[in-house]
Formats: sequence, C-alpha cells, structure tokens
Amino acid sequence: MSIRMDQIQPIIDREYDYFMSEHPHWSLKTTPQHLSEYLALVDCQHADGGWGKMSSNKESAAWVTAFCSLMLIRGNLSLQHPRIGEAVRKCVRYFLETQKEDGKWSDPSWADLDAVSHPISFFDVLLAVGKRLVDEPTLAKVKDSWRKGMKFMLDRQAADGGWYDPEFHPTGVEITAHLIQDSIVADLLLGNELNVAECCRKGVRKLLSVQAADGSWDGENVDHTMDCCRSIMLVCSVLNMRPECDRAIERGLEWILQQKCEHGWPDFPGMETNLERTCDGLDALLKYKAYSQPVATAIVKLWGYAA
Amino acid sequence: MIFLAKAAEIPDGARKLIQVNGISVALFHHEGRFYALNNACPHRQGPLIRGVLESWGEGPVCAVRCPMHGWKFDLATGDSHGRPENATVYPLIRQNDELYIEI
Repeated sequence: MSIRMDQIQPIIDREYDYFMSEHPHWSLKTTPQHLSEYLALVDCQHADGGWGKMSSNKESAAWVTAFCSLMLIRGNLSLQHPRIGEAVRKCVRYFLETQKEDGKWSDPSWADLDAVSHPISFFDVLLAVGKRLVDEPTLAKVKDSWRKGMKFMLDRQAADGGWYDPEFHPTGVEITAHLIQDSIVADLLLGNELNVAECCRKGVRKLLSVQAADGSWDGENVDHTMDCCRSIMLVCSVLNMRPECDRAIERGLEWILQQKCEHGWPDFPGMETNLERTCDGLDALLKYKAYSQPVATAIVKLWGYAA
Repeated sequence: MIFLAKAAEIPDGARKLIQVNGISVALFHHEGRFYALNNACPHRQGPLIRGVLESWGEGPVCAVRCPMHGWKFDLATGDSHGRPENATVYPLIRQNDELYIEI
C-alpha cells in the first residue's frame, strides 16, 4: 500500500480534534463525557424500544433505532452500564416485533433493502458480542429473525453481484456496499450456510467494476465512495481478496483525501463540510488503519463484530 | 421578489446553485423551462443540485433524484410521489432575461 500511516495519522488526529470542537452541534449533551452522552441517548428511547429522527419525535423509525442501538451496544462493551444494557434489550424487542412476515422491515423513507439492512447490522453485532446482554431464548429468536432478514436481502441480489432498487438505488452502488458488509457476518456466524461468501465476493467485484478512473464511486459521491472503501476493506479481509482489492481501496482513499476541506469532508467535491460526512471520513481512515494491520481480525474487531 | 440569476447564464440543460437569504437554491434549466428548488433534500439534506434528472415511469423527464439516498421529486411541484416529505419549490418570475424568486 502506498498511503503511509505517518501521513494519515496526523489527519486522523486533526479531524478528531475538529469533530470534538463541533461537539455542541452533534451531541445531546453539552459536555463530552462518554457515559452521560450514552445515557442521554437512552433517555430519548421510546416505550416501544425505538427512537425517532429527532429527540422530540414521538414515532420510532427503524433506521434511527438501528443506529442508536448499534452505538449503545458497541459503547457498552466498555461502559458496561445496566441502563444501556436494558435499552439494548428493548431495541431487540422492537425489531423482533416490527419485522414483516417475509423477513423485511418497512420504512417509507428508505428502500426495503435499506430498511432491512439497518436492523440486520444491529443483529450482526448483537449476535457477535451480545451473549451477556440477552438470554438464550431471546438470542435464538434474534438468530431466526436475522436469518429471515438475511435471506430477504440475499434473494434480491442481481446476477451481476449488485443490489438495486429502481425507486431508490438505480445505480446500486451504495446499497451494494452496505449489503456486502452486513452479509459477510453471516459467513463468520453461520459457517456459510447461506452461501454469503460467494454473494459478497460477487458484490465486491461489482463495486470494483464500477469504480471511476479517479478512484471515486457513484458520480464523485463522497459518502458512497467512503461506503465502498469501508465495505470492501472489511469483506476482502474476511474473504482473502486483498490482492485484487488493495489498489482500488488505495485509489478510493486517495480520492477521499483529495476531497477533504480544511476541516472535514463535504458530500461532493467543492461543497461545504458537513459533520456526518466528517464522521464518515474519520471512520474510513480509522478503518484503513486497522486494515493496514498484519492481523486480519483487527478490522473485524474494529467494526464491532468481535469482542 | 429577489433577483436570482440572469437566464442567459444558465443554458438549457445546465443548473446552478445560488444562495438567497441564506437558503441554497438549486436552479435547473430543463427543456426551456426553469425550476427552483431548495437544494436540501427533505430526507437527509442531500444536495439536489447534484441529482440526476429522470422521468416518472415512461413519461417525460421532469424529476430530480437526490444523489444520496434516492428520493425523487417533481421539478415543478416538489412532489415526492409517496415519500414522507416533498421538496420545497419556489415560484420563479422571469422578466426579460432576469429570473426572480419568491422566498
């Protein structure tokens, strides 16, 4: 790899400082203390176990709930707080109760494949690290639900390896990047019962085939390029595909680094920085740091897919 | 009524992002007609100015798809055809070569 860590680490440090300097704009709390921030999120949880887009929203949304619950379950690996553990158990009930008969979750804001991928991401992590949090019967229910959701996703992969939705994702780039990342965990947990290794390999090759000459994906979309890089790093590490992916990842990251504003990243080249993209950029660099480690499991741990 | 742009600056098929009173307005010139929308997609604030112009089904091209998560909006009305929110469109007034907007 030609991107050197001594180049990237100072950028990570600076961007982290910038991100924290913007703390009042993204946190529910005024001071950056980890436990109190997590507990503030717990305080916003609805009685049904979900969260809304804003803390003032009364109605739960599956995608927000998945993001919140992922944050809680990962954070509680180190915080070990009983209220956070209880909040995660309520999330589990929310997702078990809202899954449809065919395995999907529905949300008019998202394509069905997106709406499924959000709870599946949460279940991925729960199944990997959640044995201390939920009892065995609940874990068995989660695994059944997760398997149904996975099957819903995998049955909809196109012959060329991509996933598409004519209404939301005609190019298929972003959704493919998300779904290979969500699916690969089945290879780790189910022993390839659903043949996900081959699905993910095809998905990676589809993404490699549509990378632009400048290293970006999806019309210079910074978000989707970050998604592609992060997912390919994870999947190719697990499936031993590094030789065919290394250069694409490196080109993607070089392009991402070129798009960086003085602080943070924009959605597209030349636009203003926004905090969500800055967080993604920081995450992409941190994952590249893990990807560059000689121990393959480092990257899996960083995703929260192993204790 | 606020001045937005000179029509000649935006040839047919082009688009331009313009700041008006702190609001980002995405101005499209498509098949002889101008359209002004709030640039922020109501879903998650994706930039509509970078969206692809598309049709609804087999009809003529008259909609823009947000490049972030795929919500699509009618250029003239902002209608999202079933998504939870619509895009904000602004009435345009053309006086000779000048475009004005009502915000």
